[in-house]
Amino acid sequence: MHSAPTISTQGLSRRFGDLVAVDSVDLRVYSGQFFGFLGPNGAGKSTTIKMLTGLLAPSSGRIEILGLDLSTHPVEVKRQIGVVPEGMALFGRLTGAEFLSFAGRMYGLDRETAAKRAAELLEFMQLADQPRKLVTDYSHGMQKKLALAAAVIHGPKILFLDEPFEGVDAIAAGTLKAMLQGMISRGATIFLTSHVLEIVERLCSHVAIIHQGRLVAQGSLEELRAGVEAQAPAGGDGEPRPSEKLTLEEIFLRVVGGTRRSEQELSWLG
Amino acid sequence: MPSPQGVPGQVVAVAELRWRMFVNGLRTRRGKMELVSRVIVTLAFAFGGFGGLAAAAGFSWYFVSQGKPEFLPALLWPVFFFWQVFPVMATAFTNNPDSSDLLRFPLNYRAYFMIRLAYGFFDPASALGTLALLGILLGVTVARPSLFPWALLVILSFALFNLVLMQTVFAWLERWLAQRRTREILGVVFILFLLSFQLIGPTVQHLERQPRPELRKTFWIAAQVQASLPPGLAADAIGQASKAHYMVGFSSLIFLGSLTWAVGYVLHLRLRRQFQGENLSEVEGRPTGTQVQALQIGWELPIFSASVAAVFEKEVRYLSRSGPMLLTLIMPIFMLLVFRFGAMNAMHQSSIFNRTPDMAFPGAAAYALLVLTNLVYNSFGGDANGMQFFYASPATFRHILLGKNLAFGAILVANTALALIAVTLLYGRPDSAVSVATFAGLLFATPLNFTVGNLLSIYSPKRRDFATFGRQNVSQTTVLASLGVQIVIVAVGVAAFAIARFYRNLWIAALVFLALSAISIPLYLLVLRRLDGIAVERREVLLAELCRA
Repeated sequence: MHSAPTISTQGLSRRFGDLVAVDSVDLRVYSGQFFGFLGPNGAGKSTTIKMLTGLLAPSSGRIEILGLDLSTHPVEVKRQIGVVPEGMALFGRLTGAEFLSFAGRMYGLDRETAAKRAAELLEFMQLADQPRKLVTDYSHGMQKKLALAAAVIHGPKILFLDEPFEGVDAIAAGTLKAMLQGMISRGATIFLTSHVLEIVERLCSHVAIIHQGRLVAQGSLEELRAGVEAQAPAGGDGEPRPSEKLTLEEIFLRVVGGTRRSEQELSWLG
Repeated sequence: MPSPQGVPGQVVAVAELRWRMFVNGLRTRRGKMELVSRVIVTLAFAFGGFGGLAAAAGFSWYFVSQGKPEFLPALLWPVFFFWQVFPVMATAFTNNPDSSDLLRFPLNYRAYFMIRLAYGFFDPASALGTLALLGILLGVTVARPSLFPWALLVILSFALFNLVLMQTVFAWLERWLAQRRTREILGVVFILFLLSFQLIGPTVQHLERQPRPELRKTFWIAAQVQASLPPGLAADAIGQASKAHYMVGFSSLIFLGSLTWAVGYVLHLRLRRQFQGENLSEVEGRPTGTQVQALQIGWELPIFSASVAAVFEKEVRYLSRSGPMLLTLIMPIFMLLVFRFGAMNAMHQSSIFNRTPDMAFPGAAAYALLVLTNLVYNSFGGDANGMQFFYASPATFRHILLGKNLAFGAILVANTALALIAVTLLYGRPDSAVSVATFAGLLFATPLNFTVGNLLSIYSPKRRDFATFGRQNVSQTTVLASLGVQIVIVAVGVAAFAIARFYRNLWIAALVFLALSAISIPLYLLVLRRLDGIAVERREVLLAELCRA
């Protein structure tokens, strides 16, 4: 039996002109969940996460974060969440330490605490060895780590991550995963979108799949697997044998109805 | 009809790209507003441009028809100065897209070079300079129709020289300002330049004390020197041809062409490096040992909240690392120098500040505020993806913009203090009534600029790169609004000082400005309080404009 959800949406929709990017999405994410939000390109993942973090206004529907209505209590909500958006939200012409100290104070930390946490985070993320380097000169992976550090400097209860592992090497990804799992073990909630299904499968306890703006599946991995198998039992051409568990990729492809178009050719290409 | 291939095809593709971007931009209300603003700004510039054209046509006609072509340099030198100095002095009006974005395509170097020059030609300074040159061509042709082909060739060569030189100056300034070491060298040169101010006063006095023949000799030398410089060469090429000294005129044109080629080669050295993928970042080498990260405690601003102090610190750090912005901010000092040297050259007759030296400090302070509008009216331009951070954080926009305004205000105070020192060195210490009136004027004009600037920063943002010089897009709506506000402020300022001078009591101006500041400061606070709601309402436009990849 779950207590009240930490993130909940009711009829969340977003239209861009005639296009309905997100269509009546009802999400429930509970405290301590590592929640993966999946969908094909253009399905509405980033639009949803932007609405959940206050970066985009919904066309209709309601968002509650930690029991607070986001539209009426935006500042109180933002104080308790951390965000790594698609563009990483960095200030390129600051050093890593300056940026983290700045982020900490913007989230209400005092100067000393912000500076101390900034130093600890830089050390943890292995970014402390070039203190004078500007953020704009960081590699993509370093920027991802810094963006994550900025999102957690105030100790948020919920962390929203949009594609946190995109363009990140295995070593950096390991550092990020270690930090995220540490947060989950301390009771935080993490909501992430990712295209890397293996990572989601390994990290996330719960998953939702959005397709063409509509939520088509939601639950724990086992619940999703059971749901998919109940609809179409495994077997057949190239499908796993009944003794094998469906992977998240297979669940995903069945839910969104995707096929690999390997038979198509671009005759002019190399 | 087959489309062109090779370099022409690429140039056509870029032209089509710019056209598509323009047409697609009209899909939004903001895009349509931009177009309307662009038309109005263009009309305003065209008004000035055609005024320049008429004046240039009239004077050049007079000089050539009266057999005094030796006075043509008096027309070509101002055009040259305007073309080169205006883009640096008024970067807010400079609209020069960044051609380096095109480097990802298989563009050959020749096409890249040509596109860079073509982009430069659409800058307002180039357009206005070209109009003035057309005026000279028109005047010369009307006076002596047979000179038209030759004058056209000379004018085109001179225009090309100006275009190439402007791009060269921008490209090299950007290079020198991009890295700490070169920035420091430029900084030392600038300090030496400031120290040399002290020599100007004695030099002017020395020239004034010289007997007439000596003075005439000085002018003769100056005339010889200018004759071998591009404006002088262009004037000489036309002047000699008008006297049927074709070979001498031709040699001047050849010399002008050689100088254009030489400057073009210097530009080529820079653009070639850009084309080859030069990275001017300030990346340090890989650390050989363990560097200790000192605890970096943020700044504190008494009275203000932590978020205001954090934004203030961030803005100051950003600006202190932006060579192009630093250069723009020291422009008031250059302006004072230009006026002072102008006074020297014309023996104290032409310089407005020399005739009314008490106006030098208000003029410099007003200009210090004007150059700041570049920042104030597009406060979020340099934040780019950081804008997402502002929206995701619990800080309110009134605090964010207050922090930014405080940083800009601090720069204005520093710049005004620097201007006061420069005015004291160049023209003598300003009268205390003038100083007080100037500070009161700033107290009125600064909140007014901040009020409009904060609104336009939210309503009409444009992404800008603090590391590049000149290659920026500007919002035409912002340019138009900024122009309007500056016209109002200058009109009010001139009226206040005129009234004060009429009554021979400059304290009146101070009182007028203080009364006006009693309106502008509450207005600023009122608008500041409403910015949170406006920023939330406009978040999609802001994020879409500033956080694009």
